[in-house]
Amino acid sequence: MTAPKRILLAKMGLDCHDTGIITVASMLRDAGYEVIYLGLHNQADQVMKVAIEEDVDAIGISFLSGQHMTQMRRLLERIRERGLSIPVFCGGVIPEDDARALRQMGAADVILPGTLSSELVRLVDATMNRVRA
Amino acid sequence: MGGRLASSHAGPARDSEEQIFETGAGLEIRELYRPDDIAGFDPAQDLGEPGHFPFTRGPYPGMYRERIWTRRFQVGFGSPLETNERIKYLHSQGANGFVITIDLPTSYGFDSDDPLSDGEVGVTGVPISTLEDMETLYEGFGPDSVSYALSIRPPVSSVTLAMLASVAQRRNVPFEKVIGTQQNDPFYQMSGGPLQTITQFFPLEGTLRLCIDNIEFISKNMPRLNWMVTNGYNLRETGVNAIQDGAFTLGHAFDIFRRARARGLDVDLFPRRASFFLSCSIDFFEEIAKFRAMRRLYARTMREEFGASNPECWRLRFSVQSAGNTLTRQQPEVNIIRAGVEAMAAVFGGAQSIHLCSYDEAHGLPTEESSRIALRTQQVIAYESGITKTIDPLGGSYYVETLTNRMEEAIREKLAEIDDNGGMIECIRAGWLESQINDERIRNQNDLDTRRRTLVGVNRFQIPREEEIPLKIHRIQAEQWGARRGEYLREYRVSRDQGRWADAMARLEAGWRSGENMVPLLMDALQNKVTMGECHEAMRNAQNWSFR
Repeated sequence: MTAPKRILLAKMGLDCHDTGIITVASMLRDAGYEVIYLGLHNQADQVMKVAIEEDVDAIGISFLSGQHMTQMRRLLERIRERGLSIPVFCGGVIPEDDARALRQMGAADVILPGTLSSELVRLVDATMNRVRA
Repeated sequence: MGGRLASSHAGPARDSEEQIFETGAGLEIRELYRPDDIAGFDPAQDLGEPGHFPFTRGPYPGMYRERIWTRRFQVGFGSPLETNERIKYLHSQGANGFVITIDLPTSYGFDSDDPLSDGEVGVTGVPISTLEDMETLYEGFGPDSVSYALSIRPPVSSVTLAMLASVAQRRNVPFEKVIGTQQNDPFYQMSGGPLQTITQFFPLEGTLRLCIDNIEFISKNMPRLNWMVTNGYNLRETGVNAIQDGAFTLGHAFDIFRRARARGLDVDLFPRRASFFLSCSIDFFEEIAKFRAMRRLYARTMREEFGASNPECWRLRFSVQSAGNTLTRQQPEVNIIRAGVEAMAAVFGGAQSIHLCSYDEAHGLPTEESSRIALRTQQVIAYESGITKTIDPLGGSYYVETLTNRMEEAIREKLAEIDDNGGMIECIRAGWLESQINDERIRNQNDLDTRRRTLVGVNRFQIPREEEIPLKIHRIQAEQWGARRGEYLREYRVSRDQGRWADAMARLEAGWRSGENMVPLLMDALQNKVTMGECHEAMRNAQNWSFR
């Protein structure tokens, strides 16, 4: 048995809709992940700092108010600047076109509303296994 | 909360599908309701006449026969000018009231050019940073002729109230003629509701003081302006059930009323124009019963516990938005039906104003097309269905009256629990509310995962992704909007009289320290071109508080 995988979850910018991320945190904990939840209103630098300090295996960011492109661009840029390769998931109310654009930009996956627990865990596991391989 | 899961409520129906015979909040639903289920029910005591104590049948005597509910339209994006143009168009299309959504920086009291506003300007609503911005929003309409409800909360709502009062002054509209709704819920305006949303950028005690300042200013100066006590909508959207919704909403209102009374405000005066913003979810009869029960419980509490003798202070009035959290990303057209069911429940429940969510809610911000369908849905109910033509048509139904009684009882029990914990504000401070919310969120997800609850298109009756109909998407231009607003504000700050600005800032800080009502001081500041963000900065300084 290896140590549980650690995932850092956070909300970024001024958006404060947290039902999704709180629910996802609980789903991932039930699936055996160790979850660190950073709360609301984080900037890219704060997310980066905690990700490094806590040595996490992945980051998950949730959006509901239309700032997903701006905030994800910033976060992914910071991660690249530091030469890190932490996979970053994002989820929430995100139009299809933007979801495609986010994947191209380097998001590990984009998880959309109406995803059941089993599917969420399957998507996250798949990426984590890919990273490990 | 007991009674959520009881196997006796479940059983196979004739088509062998497993059904669960309970409401969304877990109240048992029996096979048939008969006269003896409402034994002891006294129509004179428990129903009364519409517009009379205890208001079970509706807050007004004539209800929809006299006036169809306000069909509110949500609008707000980009800039005050674009938003005003959109309002003019919608007004010509038959919308007669507007919920003005505010962008996130404005919601937190930041000007569009604040570094924290980067990427968020104009996205979820209109940015308002100056008195001039508010004047632009009212271009073509007087504050006595069109009803706006700004989705805002204290501390910011004190500034927008001061803007509204200033617009009225400049247009020579007397305060007593100003209409609309001033949202004034310090806690729930920020969707989600963790305490962090309230405390991160402004001290909690200061926010509560401004909430009471607003109530005082409105009740003494603007007798026709509604002020929203509780944003029960956002609270419900976190995932709590209908009983919690009713109890948290009313518990919060009673706490705020106690504070207003402690300020010396008259309980026969200030609640007159109090109003509520509530969610109407998909569980049809439970929602109808919730509205009827809340009205009755409010009337009884205001009369018996608060000792109000003015009937206007017993009357709970509310606007409704259909439940965004019942809508799905999958097969989004089905959401039009969901919103239709919810709108009918709101009408049977006696709502004063309704706003329906657009069917593309789970994809992005609404488009013109999806907002129009939401308005048309209401128009079909209002003008075609005929359900508005008699008052409280479900009154006297064995089932609806039983459920109304049970909801009132359940909400009352939950309220007692809140009181035992020191009242709603204390429940929020202590994290009790947040843990109640989080328990429900997990339970809701679990109910979907296990198919205990059906969500069409999500856990049953799905279609492959490629069969989904593509949607039009509302385009966000955050970067351009932000840049334009930045330029505007630079110009605004440079061109103002710096001496008058500095004096007004100093008066704000001094007024805060001496405990004055801040609304007139904010009017003075705005008229001297202090921006909204600067007003907040001055009030934070006066509290020796900083977050930056």
